[in-house]
Amino acid sequence: MLEDIMRFAFLCKEKPSSSRGKVAVIGAGPAGLAATGYLVCQGYDVDIYDKQPLPGGLMIFAIPPWRIPRERVLEGIKVLKENFGVKFLLRTKVFAGKPRHDEGDDFVEKNIPLEEIVNNYDAVIITTGAWRSRVPRLPGADADGVLTALEYVYKHRIYELGFSDKKPVTEGKVVVIGGGYSAVDAAEQAIRDRADEVHLVYRRTIKYAPAGVYEMERIRAMGVEIKELISPLEIITEDNKVKGIKCQRMKLGKPDRSGRPRPEPIPGSEFIMDADLVIFATGELSTPPVSLEDKEALQKLGIELDKWGCVVVDERYQSSNPKIFVAGDVVTGPSKIGSAVASGLRAACNLDMFLRARSNKFIQSV
Amino acid sequence: MSVGKGKDSPGPKYLRVIDLATCIGCGTCEAVCEFLYGKPFIKVYRTSIGLEIPVSCMHCKNAPCIDVCPTGAMTRDKDGAVYVEESRCIGCLACLYACPFGIPELHPAARVAIKCDLCKGLRSNGLIPACAAMCPAGAIIVGKEEKVFDKTKYRVAELFAKARMESIKQ
Repeated sequence: MLEDIMRFAFLCKEKPSSSRGKVAVIGAGPAGLAATGYLVCQGYDVDIYDKQPLPGGLMIFAIPPWRIPRERVLEGIKVLKENFGVKFLLRTKVFAGKPRHDEGDDFVEKNIPLEEIVNNYDAVIITTGAWRSRVPRLPGADADGVLTALEYVYKHRIYELGFSDKKPVTEGKVVVIGGGYSAVDAAEQAIRDRADEVHLVYRRTIKYAPAGVYEMERIRAMGVEIKELISPLEIITEDNKVKGIKCQRMKLGKPDRSGRPRPEPIPGSEFIMDADLVIFATGELSTPPVSLEDKEALQKLGIELDKWGCVVVDERYQSSNPKIFVAGDVVTGPSKIGSAVASGLRAACNLDMFLRARSNKFIQSV
Repeated sequence: MSVGKGKDSPGPKYLRVIDLATCIGCGTCEAVCEFLYGKPFIKVYRTSIGLEIPVSCMHCKNAPCIDVCPTGAMTRDKDGAVYVEESRCIGCLACLYACPFGIPELHPAARVAIKCDLCKGLRSNGLIPACAAMCPAGAIIVGKEEKVFDKTKYRVAELFAKARMESIKQ
């Protein structure tokens, strides 16, 4: 078997004939799809809800196809649909209370209250990811020509997938801010778009960049100018259009909580860099299907969020509402596909044990 | 102990190749392996330059671990996968000393050697090793030996073809 298919249901060849119950998965990214693959092999009927016009999450709508072959993911989704009877309910945003606007909401046609889903299924797994970019609150950061890395790569993916006729153009001088994989992917995208100049600005040295020295050197070889020990202070605009970035130079200080040297500003080192497009790749935040501020909705659901907006779960990935399990980036904050798959599988396994125990009358009576 | 008993037996052969040029270091292989066995038998290491590299048993065709095993616990299944017959293992770790890749480990409780067996249980049910099944990038190629060799070369052919295509676009 040398097929190019992601086998989400890697534990079975076909679905067991008797149904053990109905589960809703909210969010069709790696965590949700891995959970679904496990659950169908245990005999559950699974419906997956997703706000995008295709399942796959960031694997399809953000991570560039030169890293993950799109067809491999989409074929795997087709197998879940055709061989395992998984129902995909797309362009649908599930939310408790007034829906919050997140990134990548462009294709939502239908809103369903989360309470309705919780009532209609035996259990629910929330895997809604991290679709809100963190952008430092700098003067001018809302100007034309400032994008988040997620917005920038998303625009490309929806064009490539045929969901938009607008071919993304990247012109002039691009400055990407950040040191993670999103920064690397955005910078590489700009090079592939034949931007005149692409700069990547990072506040530490690349030795401490989350994407690592290798990835930085790889995009440097493609033509990206890597600028270390620089931090942005202000976006310079003209008629609300980006003209440049006021930056300051940094030096490495004592180790911070992450164990890496803390970048410290060098006084009087401010300077201005020209820019036509500024891309912030400075992290993302969890996007649970309920707002942190909406105490009423949270109480009605019986779940809690921590101060970063991540859903609070126990070691079984079960929330304080026993019917609701949560996995992936919405629990951990932005991470790697591997950790999303890991928590998706564990949540699914614990959900299965929870429902088995509940349906067992003996256990119920003791 | 007889040198040469680690040699591959005749018959159809199963092979796993990890294509490091395709691997994106996402850690999915390690995650599914750990989920299945409680401990990952393929591990992705973040190296000093930040490049993430998966390491697992190579299932050598002339396996020194099988050669040195004093009890015959380290052995090979009919598809060619090297695995540990746990009831025979005395936990001496001669296999680890012999392994050029440092693969065998000790089970924390049972104190016997443990390692990747290419998902023996899944394969006996007609499924493929979980790491390969779930790899988003398609970096883990498994299957009949000839087909795996073909696929690795086919990928190179695709790369050459793409480069030719690029050259006419410029």
